[in-house]
Amino acid sequence: MDEQQVTDAQIVQQALLNKERFGVLMDRYEAPLARYIARLGIRNPDDQQDVLQDIFLKVYRNLNGFDQQLKFSSWIYRIAHNEAISSYRKKNVRPEGHLIADSEELLSFAAGNLDSAEMQFDQTLNADVIRSGLQALDPKYSQVLVLRYFEHKEYEEISDILQIPTGSVGTLIHRGKKQLARVINTDTVRI
Amino acid sequence: MSDKPTTSLKDKLFSTIEHEKLQPRSRLFFQCKECSMWLLWLASVLVGALAVAVSLFVVAHRQYALYEATHENFLTFMVQVLPYLWFVMFGLMVVAAWYNFRQTKRGYRYSLVSIIVSSMLVSLALGAALQLLGFGYLADTTLGQQLDMYMSQEKIERQLWQQPEDGRLLGTYAGQVDAATSTVWLIDTAGTKWQIIATDLFPRDQALLRSEQPVRVLGASTGTSSKQFHACGVFPWMMDASITREDLDRERRDFVKKVYDQKYRAEDRLRLLEGDTFGNPSSGQRMDMGVCAELAAVRRIEASMQ
Repeated sequence: MDEQQVTDAQIVQQALLNKERFGVLMDRYEAPLARYIARLGIRNPDDQQDVLQDIFLKVYRNLNGFDQQLKFSSWIYRIAHNEAISSYRKKNVRPEGHLIADSEELLSFAAGNLDSAEMQFDQTLNADVIRSGLQALDPKYSQVLVLRYFEHKEYEEISDILQIPTGSVGTLIHRGKKQLARVINTDTVRI
Repeated sequence: MSDKPTTSLKDKLFSTIEHEKLQPRSRLFFQCKECSMWLLWLASVLVGALAVAVSLFVVAHRQYALYEATHENFLTFMVQVLPYLWFVMFGLMVVAAWYNFRQTKRGYRYSLVSIIVSSMLVSLALGAALQLLGFGYLADTTLGQQLDMYMSQEKIERQLWQQPEDGRLLGTYAGQVDAATSTVWLIDTAGTKWQIIATDLFPRDQALLRSEQPVRVLGASTGTSSKQFHACGVFPWMMDASITREDLDRERRDFVKKVYDQKYRAEDRLRLLEGDTFGNPSSGQRMDMGVCAELAAVRRIEASMQ
């Protein structure tokens, strides 16, 4: 069977019998998780490596706790999310101003998702404004927006990652977008 | 940011696993963890149900029938007797149930409101069932017996009725003082022997007083040096699981009737006394008529009826 066709859940079962198979999961998730924790504010490459190692160790130790009814990606993102949060709590610092996404991603997010009625400056909109707007958001909003629009997760997956009810995901996204539009408008006026 | 996984991370991880001899935790560990969360949730709901059962027992079986005898009005009576401890316990258990449910595998998928409302409903339904089966009474009396600090309904009721200076006495018949009079002995819950003057009691109350069962006596302490108590009404001791709401309603009707009867009897006597004083010698001796008519309970009932 082609390795690409083997599901994550199947690899989890294989890794429980043969730990070398755990390497396949690492290959699949190392880059996306590195990007995700960077979006959550862990920018220093050394810190990223430490957090990634903690994430994969935790995943390995808890393989038997993986609920087969969940998507594996939701489960591993949940662990990554918790590890990232506990990492900057351990260091007793707020997450640094972080690279949410590249400029193209940011502009496509803004074009597709921010209500034009609330945006009076779409011609002058630029990626830096959106980036700083996202960074200025309350983390509970920026976390769902990142997962929804930059990690392209479904509501149910976000619910599983952040461990909040699915209904709350919709509410947070809606409020987050409104707050973002407000922040961006204020910034633009200031500029 | 590179999308290519670094091989060094994988090597580092496997070397850590090798070096620290790490193994995935067993499936049993996770099953036990999940089970313990559900058990904690269940325990919270059950303790919450017990709180509901005792609260229902207290509210439904509280000796409200004679509240005018012990309190100024119904409000002060309720303020004193409501089972605050159990209300607080119920609140804490609802929070604990929410917390424990939230820790289960998929507990996060449910909203705060839905978890709290469903846990409350389960506790309320179970609590009502427990109360119907008599667990409210059992829990309250057992805790009262086992814990000195815990004020069970029985303890509160005993305290309320063992107040001779306020005209309330709780005790058991201990014999006739003198065959020629209606005075009897009664030993109260503190072990004190009282002479009960029973001249104003109705026949039914006289029989109840002599039944050798614990009784509550409403009246007034009259003796200055000796332990003497003028009885105006006698009521059975009703702290029992088998007492129903109907029993309490009947008790209340009897109480109100007794108080009225005492009042009008006193008025009749007043007329007799007036006759004696102003030249109608219909009565041979001056009667002790003021005690029962002047009871605080009589005044309160009159006030509430008006």
